[in-house]
Amino acid sequence: MNISPLKAYLRPNGSWGLRNHVLVLPLHSALSSSARAIEEASQGAVAITHDWSGEIDADLERIISTLAGFASNPNNFATIFLTLDSPNERRIIERAESLGLPNVVHLSLADAGSMHKLVDVGILEADQLLTRALLQERIPAPWSAIVLGLECGGSDALSGITANPALGVASDMLVDLGATSILGETTEILGAEHLLAARAITPEVGVEIVNTVLRYESSINYEGIDLRGAQPSRGNIEGGLSTLEEKSLGAAKKAGNAVFTGVLEYAEVPSAHGLFFMDTPGHDIEQLTGFAAGHVNIVVFTSGRGTPTGSATMPVIKVATNTPMATSLKDLIDLNAGTIADGIESLSEVGNRIFNEIVAVANGKETKAERGGHHEFSLSRLYN
Amino acid sequence: MRKILILHSSDNVAVCLSEIIKGEIIEQDGKKFSALESIPRGHKIAIANIDLNEGIIKYGERMGHATSRINAGSHVHVHNVLGDRLASSDS
Amino acid sequence: MKMEGFDHGTRGIGVRDYQLILPSVVCSTHISRRIAKDVNAVTFSHQHGCGIIGADVAGIGDFFASLADHPNVSSVLVVSLGCETIQGQELAEKLVTKNASTKYQIIQDSGGVEATVTAGITAVRSLQESYPTKRRPLNDLRVGISASSNSSIANNLLEALSALDIYTELVGGKSPADSFSHLMEKKVHLILSFPTGDQPASGFPLIPVINIASDSALHQAISADFDVPAGTPVENIVKLILEVANGRETIAEINKSGEILAPRLVRST
Repeated sequence: MNISPLKAYLRPNGSWGLRNHVLVLPLHSALSSSARAIEEASQGAVAITHDWSGEIDADLERIISTLAGFASNPNNFATIFLTLDSPNERRIIERAESLGLPNVVHLSLADAGSMHKLVDVGILEADQLLTRALLQERIPAPWSAIVLGLECGGSDALSGITANPALGVASDMLVDLGATSILGETTEILGAEHLLAARAITPEVGVEIVNTVLRYESSINYEGIDLRGAQPSRGNIEGGLSTLEEKSLGAAKKAGNAVFTGVLEYAEVPSAHGLFFMDTPGHDIEQLTGFAAGHVNIVVFTSGRGTPTGSATMPVIKVATNTPMATSLKDLIDLNAGTIADGIESLSEVGNRIFNEIVAVANGKETKAERGGHHEFSLSRLYN
Repeated sequence: MRKILILHSSDNVAVCLSEIIKGEIIEQDGKKFSALESIPRGHKIAIANIDLNEGIIKYGERMGHATSRINAGSHVHVHNVLGDRLASSDS
Repeated sequence: MKMEGFDHGTRGIGVRDYQLILPSVVCSTHISRRIAKDVNAVTFSHQHGCGIIGADVAGIGDFFASLADHPNVSSVLVVSLGCETIQGQELAEKLVTKNASTKYQIIQDSGGVEATVTAGITAVRSLQESYPTKRRPLNDLRVGISASSNSSIANNLLEALSALDIYTELVGGKSPADSFSHLMEKKVHLILSFPTGDQPASGFPLIPVINIASDSALHQAISADFDVPAGTPVENIVKLILEVANGRETIAEINKSGEILAPRLVRST
């Protein structure tokens, strides 16, 4: 039972990739269209785009960690950086290398001579890297190769009863086997933090969980922001969720019952195995970006309303909380947990199905989001 | 099939597993009451009388408070519930 | 020089004839791109529409509305996920009040990705049929200038254009993308951009951008990305402006470079 059926790509620093992507990462927003052009013309490179134009402000360090962590996600065989060769861009590349990125290609616009030439060089580099990536084989990997991200979005009142606790079952099974699992979305544990803190490995970790929520709560109060309309969102309210606390109590079920090993900053890479909490926004895409930057290599995303969201680097498994949505949005849902509310399956049966799907996808099975080519990206900013 | 799901013994609300029609009699888990209004699937129904400002309990935990008296069988949602934290009082 | 533009009804006369596929939330950007590709329309990626609070809810809605109301836009398809803070349907309804040639498609109500793409393409085609291209004389060209206010060449251009009775607007934002967005809200037909020496040439999906180089090392190294070399006389630039207004493509248009940057006021939650 404890022998892992996993096969993955071993990286030089000992981490494991469940995919072998060649990522094209522009480090300036003006190079976004070049990155996209390279993706479209190459034989399978993936590109992301973003809106950072090198601004040096209070969010700079967060942006550097995010881009460097994303570039060095173990699912990336290589990252092609498109830059203006500024000092901060060079810092991002150095940080990505120190985080274990095995293959780095740095293309500067000035060296290429024009956007057009940058795209041409980028396509050549991408295709060469893709050829090399194809030569690398998956080898048997331990359970600890899995770093699972727990995500929910477009929640409804069934989220906390069906998909989230079923994902909790799968997460507990993986953590027991030695894998890592990360819960995020500080907004969405507000009201449930005392339950999570009670499961912390040490009193200090418990205090850290509570303080992370308090820090968030006081920053929102301090700015005098009215969360109505955003939390719970209008979609949540239509789905039957009435308060932020109710949403949080349901959202926290994703983390099962395992002990919390530690708290991570946004985009921080965990240095041990076990269950972690990462301080991220509730915005689905910013949250997924933080996970990818924190070297999560596979995500399970539960949804009541349905979403096409995917990631350029992590496979994202979509689990529906209710059968009507799973039926109507077939081409974006991988698994239906609505069977629990229908009285057809038990929580542990669905938990086992999610576990098996995680293993299959880790070993290369394509998710619906991967098949559709969905890979949204969003930089998280605290100071706008 | 179950009409409602009570998640914890101390809860005063339950989740409707299918749409509830006004006047429907709900008899489950030792409780019996009639639905005072129609309630969509996935939304909450009061399974006890809840006083103004009393806590709304779901999953055995407090998820907010009542902004008016809520009778058993009523729809429990944003029109009569407010979160205790990060919620404005004028909604 | 006589100019001819595109009659876009209440939006005005445009110098380009673009259909806009407007994702109301980051989650619908990929599907928007698939639709746009199929029907040769303009779309853009952004990170907004959900988890936004306070002033941003109205602010980003207004920003999207001004994109949809731009004179270079012939018709608009709003693509919404369904559960986001900015509801696609409401956004479209708000846009319809300004302009009839607006439709919307909601992913969560459409039966999934492929069904949304198919329905979206059908909707855009029917907009094309209902609102065919009509050419009209253009008498009130509006030119935006993205430059720091102390740029002498930008100020000389302002004077030259004013002398021709051409409306001008100068914005010096924190980046070209930021300035372009502000100029878009001012409904300029085309933009002259003077990026600082450390910034590259850039474009904007709905508006032709003429990039003017400085003598910085970066700009010299990538001179092919600029329409106008450093030191070009003002009258030559004015001539180019009129040509671009009449349809000549800028290098940023040829390269399809540049993104639309929606300004954000508040942190996300």
